[in-house]
Amino acid sequence: MNATHAAWLVLAAPLAGTLVIALSFKWLPRQTAGWIGTLAIAVSFGYSIVAFVQLQSLSPEHRELTSSLWTIARTTGVDASATILVDPLSVFMILVVSGVSMLIHLYSVSYLKGDRGYARFFAYLNYFVFSMLLLVLAGNFLLLIVGWAFVGAASYMLISFWYRRASATQAGIKAFVINVIGDAGLVLGTFFIFRSSHSLDFVATFRVAPHVFAYGSGGITAGCLLLLVGAFAKSAQIPLHTWLPDAMEGPTPVSALIHAATMVTAGVYLIARMHPLFQLAPAAQDVGAIVGCLTLLIAGTIALAAVDIKRVIAYSTMSQIGYMIMGVSAGAYAAGLFHLMTHAFFKALLFMAAGSVIGAMGGEQSLDRISGMRKALPFTFICFLVGGLALSGIPPFSGFFSKDDILAQIGSRGGWYWALYAAGYLGAGLTALYTFRMIFRAFLGEPNPQARELEHGHLFHPEQPTNPANGEVEDTDVGFPGPDHVIAERALPMRVAMSLLALLAIAGGIVGIPKTTSWLENFLAPTFAGSTIHLAPSNTLIYVGLALGTVIGLGGIGLAWVVWVARPGSSTVIAARLAPAYRLFAGKWYFDELIDALVVRPATWFGRFAQGSFERVFVNGTLIGGTTAIVRAGSAVVRSAESGFVRYYVAFVVIGLSGVGLYFLVQS
Amino acid sequence: MIAAALIHPHGPYIDWAALSPLVALVGGSVVVLMVGLLRSRFARTQVVPFLTLVSLGVTIGFVIWQWHRHVAAISGALAFDQLTGTITLLVAAGGIAATLLSWRGQAPRESAHGDFYSMMLGSITGMVVLVAAQNLVTLFVGLELLSIPLYVLCATEMHRAASLEAGLKYLIVGSVGSATLVYGLALIYGATGSTDFSGIAGSISQGHSSDVLLLTGIALLTVGLAFKASIAPFHQWTPDVYEGAPTPVTAFMAVATKAAAFGVLLRVFDVMLPAEHLNWRPALLVLAAISIVVGNVGALGQSSLKRLLGYSSVAQAGYILAGVAVATTLGARATILYLVVYLLMNIAAFGAIVARERMTPYGDDFDAVAGLGAEDPWLAWPLTIAMLALAGVPATAGFIGKFFLIDALVGAGYTWLAILIVVGSMISLGYYLRVINAVWMRSAPGPSASAAAGVPVIAGGSPEADALGQTHIELRFAAVVFGGATVFFGIVPQPLFDLAQHAANTLSGAL
Repeated sequence: MNATHAAWLVLAAPLAGTLVIALSFKWLPRQTAGWIGTLAIAVSFGYSIVAFVQLQSLSPEHRELTSSLWTIARTTGVDASATILVDPLSVFMILVVSGVSMLIHLYSVSYLKGDRGYARFFAYLNYFVFSMLLLVLAGNFLLLIVGWAFVGAASYMLISFWYRRASATQAGIKAFVINVIGDAGLVLGTFFIFRSSHSLDFVATFRVAPHVFAYGSGGITAGCLLLLVGAFAKSAQIPLHTWLPDAMEGPTPVSALIHAATMVTAGVYLIARMHPLFQLAPAAQDVGAIVGCLTLLIAGTIALAAVDIKRVIAYSTMSQIGYMIMGVSAGAYAAGLFHLMTHAFFKALLFMAAGSVIGAMGGEQSLDRISGMRKALPFTFICFLVGGLALSGIPPFSGFFSKDDILAQIGSRGGWYWALYAAGYLGAGLTALYTFRMIFRAFLGEPNPQARELEHGHLFHPEQPTNPANGEVEDTDVGFPGPDHVIAERALPMRVAMSLLALLAIAGGIVGIPKTTSWLENFLAPTFAGSTIHLAPSNTLIYVGLALGTVIGLGGIGLAWVVWVARPGSSTVIAARLAPAYRLFAGKWYFDELIDALVVRPATWFGRFAQGSFERVFVNGTLIGGTTAIVRAGSAVVRSAESGFVRYYVAFVVIGLSGVGLYFLVQS
Repeated sequence: MIAAALIHPHGPYIDWAALSPLVALVGGSVVVLMVGLLRSRFARTQVVPFLTLVSLGVTIGFVIWQWHRHVAAISGALAFDQLTGTITLLVAAGGIAATLLSWRGQAPRESAHGDFYSMMLGSITGMVVLVAAQNLVTLFVGLELLSIPLYVLCATEMHRAASLEAGLKYLIVGSVGSATLVYGLALIYGATGSTDFSGIAGSISQGHSSDVLLLTGIALLTVGLAFKASIAPFHQWTPDVYEGAPTPVTAFMAVATKAAAFGVLLRVFDVMLPAEHLNWRPALLVLAAISIVVGNVGALGQSSLKRLLGYSSVAQAGYILAGVAVATTLGARATILYLVVYLLMNIAAFGAIVARERMTPYGDDFDAVAGLGAEDPWLAWPLTIAMLALAGVPATAGFIGKFFLIDALVGAGYTWLAILIVVGSMISLGYYLRVINAVWMRSAPGPSASAAAGVPVIAGGSPEADALGQTHIELRFAAVVFGGATVFFGIVPQPLFDLAQHAANTLSGAL
């Protein structure tokens, strides 16, 4: 089996899984759907490994394979076919996506077991994995757009999975709308590029791009900026990020899979995939790097003030993706993708651990009420700690190597990139601070009643289920979370998934230890062989960076220790002293309000105005009223001519014949 | 010459291989008629339709066998080229569908199975002859061979007045059309002194182009063919006959007759009269425009599904005629492509409608499909797909067909007609979506309503023979297969492009 065959099977397995579950859920016994879904992704992962091995057996310059299943339309000017591109970048992505997805499916088998929508969940989740794999395997813009839109749709369905919760459906709509803005950017960007390249195919486009686009010309810059809009919306970068925290309304495995490990990294993948185009548009690269940098700082500060445990991790995700976007926009492709991989491991782990904590709290998510869980949830605590240390960039955990790799590469570009470099380390300090604020508050301190109950071997169940976002009372029927709460300590599949991820979060950095292994960089090298940006950080920069990263990370943890453990209460003092800053952070920098004031309100106002004046009088009255009246009258005329009498029919034939005959006679 | 005659003293050479599709059809017709005379009930009700299917299958096989040949047979009277082949495939597919639809129906039982299927095969023979015709006489023979069995088929439900009425109406109005046509043929012969298409084309190009006799002849010929293709204002028989005829016959008329009529329109205008195109093109464009408007507005507010599809077929005929009228290779390709698509979506719709006629007491009324989505998704989906495809919604073959027609029109500089097609499609949503609305959003009429509706006196179902509530597997099969094909070719249209290109290449020499 060659690499492209394996890649097609990588796509086929989750598609088959979703169809099987969706069409046969009525007859499937309980929990079978979960295992079918997990098996489908495991098969997909297996074939990803096959594709990887097959690709490695080729010589480096031949590691770019395409395969077409069928031609969608091949006429003048359009070359659309169902083509996949198998190269080191896409194989890397399918390995990460299918690998992490497999573990999260496994986790969900237990975590969702009480939910009435169990089979629906796995059908959606498999559909999501299929869409994501399609996105990363797409060999042309058409399939990329299809995968991009499918992923958005899957995200919408999963955020609104508990569809009878108003807050969940609103969050789903918000995510979908912002993602559609991104889709529009992607489609328009594709159009800008296609207009000059005359090909939808990636390989062909990249080959002709240097010839048809002048370096830094308007066309390619506009195209790349529009692609960036797509990337920003999917990857939750400022100012299109507001949907991501709200997306935490979805079930926790969804947050782990889609809104941390895979879908939100699509923007990073896009920039890396399109690097031959972005390198022709330096302005777009700079915009990407600066927006990534701003996002990593702003999201870090918001995470400091957030109290919902899942939202803290969500803002952390935004911030970490900011690093990746900054890296790949600045030309540090392998480093950005390295961080994508390690982040997928430790962030999925953190979400899974948070899910276990939420299970122990009976659905409660506020850090104000979670405390002292360490004894009650020993396994979860260790996993959370491992994830937190990796996130904070403490050696030798995986995040340490990947984050410092990005920053060293950026530093090596010199000039104003030093500002990004400094901001990156500032962000690293914030990361350690907010991560351990969360860990210390949730696990240390006085055990709360739920934790005490669990220490005595009894899992807390609230008297009546409520919505953690607004405290509304709910029931446990379909469309709401089920009656059961699950903790990792009592569910083997969850423990297996979390243990494996914890190992990866600890040791994942081994693939990119600077000056030692650099396996990932070497593996990805064929994809980026044509890159015109050559970054080679000096040894000094690398070692200073590693040392600095360690110091800053440990410093952040130390500060968190002082503020939240050693001197409890000092956080309120600090918040009071720095009230304006705290309000800004807690108010999420007022981005929601800003978008509301700048976009939503004017649009609503204009819509009302237009509806009252223009729509009612002109459109409804004249255009629609007039048109329907004409069509109705025409319909009446035609039907009244249909009298049923043959003599009239013949008469009509004669009249029509006279008309046609007259015309031809006039012609003669 | 003499030497050749001496070597082959057994008369003229007949290319049996090229004629093989026709032989299969005529032979099938005779065999079916004979088997229908057997006493055995099984032979009549099961073997006869089965033999019909075999005959049509063999025809298709012969067409594929002869696909790459381009033969003028019987002293050049018939041309077996890829246009003939494509249309033969279409009418044979339409015949297979109609056979499946009528297998356990009322019409063949009342008229004797052998007669029914024999006439259907005869009509198909006529269609093939019509499309293959290379001179005026053969054209007329083909047309009558097509029409006369159809007149009878419309009246095969002899215990139902509407069916008899439909047959009689079709006969009378059709005779007027035939008379017009034959008059036109005579005038063309008179003007050019030739009955042969190529002879006529040669004569015109030598300077008869604005001859009064010729132009009058073309006018009459146009009207005669427009009548068969149910193009407005010669469409008026269509809704009445579609509604009154047994539904399988309606389906057969809708898809097969249309394919044959447009096949011959392509042949006549693009092979015989290309030199005259400046004269006939405006007339055809206007007729297309009238059909689009009349068909679409007429279908609004109909309560009978068959009548609705009758008007819809008038509108669709307008779309297809637009492809003929532009007189370009692209237009011919778009025409053929649309004929294929039209077959797929109509059979899917009629399959579901026939099934509902037999299952409910409402005949072909909207009530028959109300609540179908909840009750029977395997019929609801094909019907829904067919309606969406007829309206031209993307991801169905109907979109591809319309897209190519519009492309051909815009390419030839007739953007106004392209816009009219789009406007027509918009209006058409007004009635296609009503069907979908009934299928998915209305609940089935309650039992009291069905009691009030009483005995069905509407096409297709008859209580004395057909127990209501039966579901027939062959109907479901036809609906699902053709509905599935509608979606499949909407996503993977390349095979249709190739087919249309092959068929239109036959004409490209003339265009």
